[in-house]
Amino acid sequence: MRGVVIGAHLERDDLEAPAFAIPIGDLFLSAFPIAPDQPLGDRDLLIRVAAVRAQLLDRATFIAIRYGFAVTSPEEAHAKVASQIERWKRLLEEHRGRVEMTLKVPASLPSAHPNRADFSTGASYLKALHTAVRAAGADPEFRLLVEKELIPLAHQHRWIPRDEKSLELALLIDRRNVAGMLAAGEKLRGSGAAFLLSGPWPLEVFADDHE
Amino acid sequence: MPDELTDQELPLLETLDHLLDRGVVIAGEAVISIGDVDLLYLGLNIVLANVDAIMRTARKP
Repeated sequence: MRGVVIGAHLERDDLEAPAFAIPIGDLFLSAFPIAPDQPLGDRDLLIRVAAVRAQLLDRATFIAIRYGFAVTSPEEAHAKVASQIERWKRLLEEHRGRVEMTLKVPASLPSAHPNRADFSTGASYLKALHTAVRAAGADPEFRLLVEKELIPLAHQHRWIPRDEKSLELALLIDRRNVAGMLAAGEKLRGSGAAFLLSGPWPLEVFADDHE
Repeated sequence: MPDELTDQELPLLETLDHLLDRGVVIAGEAVISIGDVDLLYLGLNIVLANVDAIMRTARKP
């Protein structure tokens, strides 16, 4: 048995083939079966896993596990996620009927990418890199429009700088509001600003401690 | 190479972006590969840590 883990789910019935379930305490991990020697970077595998991920989201909301976590036994899986189970269960119960949407926008004033040669230490370079990313901001007028049209439809939202040239708005919404969110996104087109509104997605940003 | 992505390419790229760059990270579990060759192993619990947190940790005696 080897599987690339897709997500954490509240109920076993939230999973369906070709994904299989790995019980972890009160929860279940979904995994896509792969051969013992299957490289995870295989293009076809990535696309198949992405398709199964979407299929599972149609059934029920789950916590997305970032691609790259593969296990060979239930014991191994449990050991690696044991510290998260209680928190995941709470999140899954709280956000059972919710999904994420993502709005990607270019930064209005992209900051310059720091040049490693300008820094004497790796730490100071990392700090400058971090500062440059955090400095990225959306056009104020577009941001006001987003706050008027999209954010009222969301339970939670979070602006996330992605790099020196772009940032992202993650929105946590009720499943029944996906069409409404997409319709609201159409209203942004009149602004002439570039953006990409996508979703629904499983719990990604709102389940990740690192965001 | 075309200047713009087609309507078909964009959803696929967006989907792969979410698959590869979103969600909960399980510590030290990413191997970046091309074809059959594993090029890079990432200890993601370190790589994805907030830089400010790294700096604070580095200053501790």
